[in-house]
Amino acid sequence: MSENKFSVIGKPQIKVDGTELVTGSAIFAGDLRFPGMLYGYAARAGVPAGKLKSVDVSKAVAVEGVVDVITSENIGGPNLMGIMPPFDQPVIAKGEIRYAGETIAFVVAESKRIAKKAALLVEADIEAYEPVLTVEEALADGARKIHPDGNVTFTRKLIKGDTAKGFEEADLILEDDFETSFQEHAYIEPEAVCVVPSGDNRLTVYASCQSPYHLRGQIAANIGLPMSKIKVIQAYTGGSFGGKDDVAAEIGILAGVAALRSGKPVMVAHDREESIIGSNFRHAIKIHYKTGLKNDGTITAREVKLLLDGGAYASESPFVVMKALIHAAGPYKIPNVFVESTAVYTNKTYAGAFRGFGVPQVTFAAESQLQEAADRLGLDALAIRRKNALRPGDATATSQVLNESVGIVQTIDAVGKRAAEIAAGSEDEADEQYLYGTGYASLIQGISNGAEGIDVVGASVQMSQDGSVLVGTGLTELGQGSRTVFAQIAAEVLGVPLDRVTARLVDTDSVHDSGATVASRATTTGGMAVFKAATEVKSSLLQMAALMFKTEAENIVLKEGFAVLVFDETARIPIPDVATAAYWTGFPLMNMAFSKAPDADYDHDTHQGKIYIAYNFGTHMMKIRVEKSTGKVEVLSHIASHDVGKVINPLGLTGQVEGASLIGYGLGHMEKIEYENGIIRNPNFADYAVPTIMDRIPTEVISVEEFNSTGPFGAKGVGEPPVAGATASFVNAISDAVGIRFRKIPVTRQDIMLALRNRGNQEE
Amino acid sequence: MEISFICNGRKRMAAISGETRALDLLREDLNLTGTKEGCGKGECGACTILLDGKPVSSCLLPAAKLDGRNVLTIEGLKGDGGKLHPIQQAFLDSGAVQCGFCTPGMILSTKALLDNNPAPSVSEVEVALSGNICRCTGYGKIVEAVLLAAERLQVKI
Ligand code: FES
Ligand code: FES
Repeated sequence: MSENKFSVIGKPQIKVDGTELVTGSAIFAGDLRFPGMLYGYAARAGVPAGKLKSVDVSKAVAVEGVVDVITSENIGGPNLMGIMPPFDQPVIAKGEIRYAGETIAFVVAESKRIAKKAALLVEADIEAYEPVLTVEEALADGARKIHPDGNVTFTRKLIKGDTAKGFEEADLILEDDFETSFQEHAYIEPEAVCVVPSGDNRLTVYASCQSPYHLRGQIAANIGLPMSKIKVIQAYTGGSFGGKDDVAAEIGILAGVAALRSGKPVMVAHDREESIIGSNFRHAIKIHYKTGLKNDGTITAREVKLLLDGGAYASESPFVVMKALIHAAGPYKIPNVFVESTAVYTNKTYAGAFRGFGVPQVTFAAESQLQEAADRLGLDALAIRRKNALRPGDATATSQVLNESVGIVQTIDAVGKRAAEIAAGSEDEADEQYLYGTGYASLIQGISNGAEGIDVVGASVQMSQDGSVLVGTGLTELGQGSRTVFAQIAAEVLGVPLDRVTARLVDTDSVHDSGATVASRATTTGGMAVFKAATEVKSSLLQMAALMFKTEAENIVLKEGFAVLVFDETARIPIPDVATAAYWTGFPLMNMAFSKAPDADYDHDTHQGKIYIAYNFGTHMMKIRVEKSTGKVEVLSHIASHDVGKVINPLGLTGQVEGASLIGYGLGHMEKIEYENGIIRNPNFADYAVPTIMDRIPTEVISVEEFNSTGPFGAKGVGEPPVAGATASFVNAISDAVGIRFRKIPVTRQDIMLALRNRGNQEE
Repeated sequence: MEISFICNGRKRMAAISGETRALDLLREDLNLTGTKEGCGKGECGACTILLDGKPVSSCLLPAAKLDGRNVLTIEGLKGDGGKLHPIQQAFLDSGAVQCGFCTPGMILSTKALLDNNPAPSVSEVEVALSGNICRCTGYGKIVEAVLLAAERLQVKI
C-alpha cells in the first residue's frame, strides 16, 4: 500500500455508529414505540397463480382488536410499485395472483398477534391456474401470459466485433451450460417500517431500508399525497444487501395507507417467513457460455446467453439483465463478444437486487469455463488470466477504453505471490482422508449506477461554532460502514479529529434526492458529494483564518484541529475559534453539495460505449479440502485481492470483503431456495442454509490501489465484487478437488457426495 | 400470572399471560429493545439473553420461566467506571460489528463463554457462537473480537 499522507483516510477507524450497536441502544425500526400505535400484518395468497375473484375480509374485521382491513380498493393511488419501468407490481393483488407470497389484504390491529391471527381469517376466492414455474415453460409457445405483454420482462444484447470470425481463429472452443439458484438476502433484521402521522399534515416514515427516496416516492404516489408531505427517516438498518428496497416500499405504502385511515402510527415488522416468501431473491439464471481460445490462451471470442428467472414481477430485473450482460466477458480484453441477456416472468417470488447484481452468476460460469480451457490447454490458472487481463488503454467488452484504475493484473500478481507463499508452507497434500483442490477466479464489477441510470447524490456538511461537524448524505448506512467513511472524508478535508464529526442517518427532508444505495456507490459517489460540501466549508474557514493571520488563504492548512500557517507550523488557531469568527463575520459554515457522476453514453442496441465511471477488479484464490467419506468441505485458505482505488478505512474494507466473500461462498456451496409447485419449501433458517460461524472461510484481503479520479481520494467501492470472486473460486476449487466440472450451483455437500460415489463406481 | 425476577441487577415484577414469550416481556413491557427478534424460532440467536448466566433464545422461552431467575440483557452489560464492557470494546476494535443486529446476541453468547472459559480455543469460540447467525461480517472479525476480549479480561484479573 502506498505511503499515507493523510491523517484520517487510510487508517483503520472504529465505526462511528458502533457504540450504540454494542450497547443495544441503537433504535431499529421495529424498536420504535408510539402512543396508540397499531400493527399491520399481510394476508397472503398461498397459491402461486390464479384469478383472484374476490376477497372476503368480514371474519377478520370481526376479530376483537382489529381496527381496519385494507384491500386493493383502499389504496388511494395506482396500487402499483416498482423501482423502474414497467412498474408492474400491485401493492395488494387485484384480479390476478402471480406468486404465492403476494399480499391480498392487510390487517391492522392493536397488536401484532391479533393482526396475524385475523390475517389467517381473510378468505380469497381464487380460481387457480397451472403455475408457470420455469423460464422454459414461460417462453414456450402458447405459454399462459403472466403479464399482459407476455413473459419476457426485459431483454438486451451486447455486440462487439464478429464472434463467428473470432471462433474461426480459435484453436479450442468450449461450449457449456451452467445454472444458478435463487439466493435469499437473509439479513438478520427482517424488514420493518413505522409510519407516523405527524400532526403537521405530513407522514413521517421510519424505515429499515436501503433507499429512502424510493420509499418517499412510492408511498406518496400510492396514497395520493404530494411527495413533499412525506418524510422518510432511515432507522438503524440490520443489513440489506439489495433486499430492503421493493419490500420496504411495499410495507411503507401499506403502513402509510393504514396510518392515514386510522390517524394512528402503524408498524409493520415482518416475520422471518414473510421476509423470505414476500421479498426478492438473487436471480436464478440459466447460462450458456461459448469461448474460443488460441493455444497460447488468448481468448478470441465469447458468446453468452442468459435466461434470468425474475419471478412474478419486474423489480430490478432490467438492471440485473444489463449488469450481467455487461460483465459476462469478464475482466478481459476480448475482441469479439456477443451476449444476450433476458429476464423472464414466472409464478414465483420476484427476483431483484442482491449484492453483485448478476455479476456473481456470470462470473461463476465464465471463470469455470476459462479454468476448463486452461486445464485443456495445459496453461497455468493465473497465467491465462494475466494473458487476457485488461490493461490501461484497453477496451472492455463495451469498447469502453479504460485509461486509469485498471488493477486487474496487480490483483493477479498479488494472489500469485501470496499463493506461492502458502504453498511453500503447506504439507504434502496426498492423503487417504481428504481430496485437495485449488481454484482461482478474476472478476470485474462496474461501480455506481452507470448504464442503470442517473447517478446523483446530495450531501450536507455543517460546521458549528464549536468546530464540530455534522455530515448528512442521501445514501444509507446498512452496516457497510458508509457513515464512518463519510465522517472520515469530512474530517480529512476540514482538518478535525474524527470524534468531532457526526454522520447522521438519512432524512429525506434534508438533502437532495440521492436515489438508491446500490452498486457499491456509497463510497464513490456519496463520498464525492461529502468531499465537495466539506471543501466549500473549508474554503470559508480558510478565508476567515486568512483574515485572522493577515495573510492569503493559500498560506493556511487545516490540520489536527487547527488552522496552521504553512511557513510557521507553530502559528496555529484552533478551528473552533476560526469557526466562531467565520460565523460572526458572515462566512457560510454549511454547504449542500450535489454530486453527479458522468452519464453513461452507449448504443442501446449493442451496448457499446461508456458504461460505468469506474470498475473494481479482483482476483481470488481458494484452497479447500473435501473429506472423502462425508463430502464435507473445509476452506484452507482464501485470498481476495481487489483494486479499490484507495483504501479509506482498512478495518471497514476488510470487513466488507470478508462478509461479501461468505455470501459468495454460500451462493456457491450452500444456499438455495427450494420450490415445490410454486410454494417455497424452506422459508426459515432451519431449512435454508445461511452460513454459520462453523462454515466461515479464512479470507485474507489484499488491496491494490490504482487511483480512480472519479472517487474521493481516488477510492472506488468494494461492497459487491468479492461475492463473485468467492463463488467462482470455490467452484473451481471443488471441481479441482473432485476432478469433475460442476456446472450448477450451489454445489452442496450432497452433490459432492454423489459425485464422489459416481466417481468411485467408475473407478471400480 | 405474576412473576418476579432480577433483570440487569434490578428486581422486576410483571403480570403476564401464558402465551407471552420472554422476548416480548423484555421488549414490550420492559422496553429493553436491545434484544432482537430475527426469526422467532430459535434459529438465529438475535434474541439471546443470559438466564442465570447461560445463553438462551428468549423467543422460545415462555416469560413465566423467568420467575425467580436472574436475567442479563445487552442493556445490563457494563464495563468499569461507565466505560463499555471489554467484550463490547473488543467487538468495536476488531471491526466485528457491521449492521449490529446480531451483535447483542453475539456479545451475550461471548460473555457466557468467557465467564466459564476465560481462555477459549478457536473451536470453543465456534461452538459457543454456532447458534448466532451473522450475515454481514463473515465471522472472522467476530472470532478475533472474542479472543481479544478474552485476552483483555485475563490481563485484568
Ligand atoms: S429470534 Fe430467537 S433465535 Fe431467532
Ligand atoms: S453485523 Fe449484521 S448480522 Fe451481524
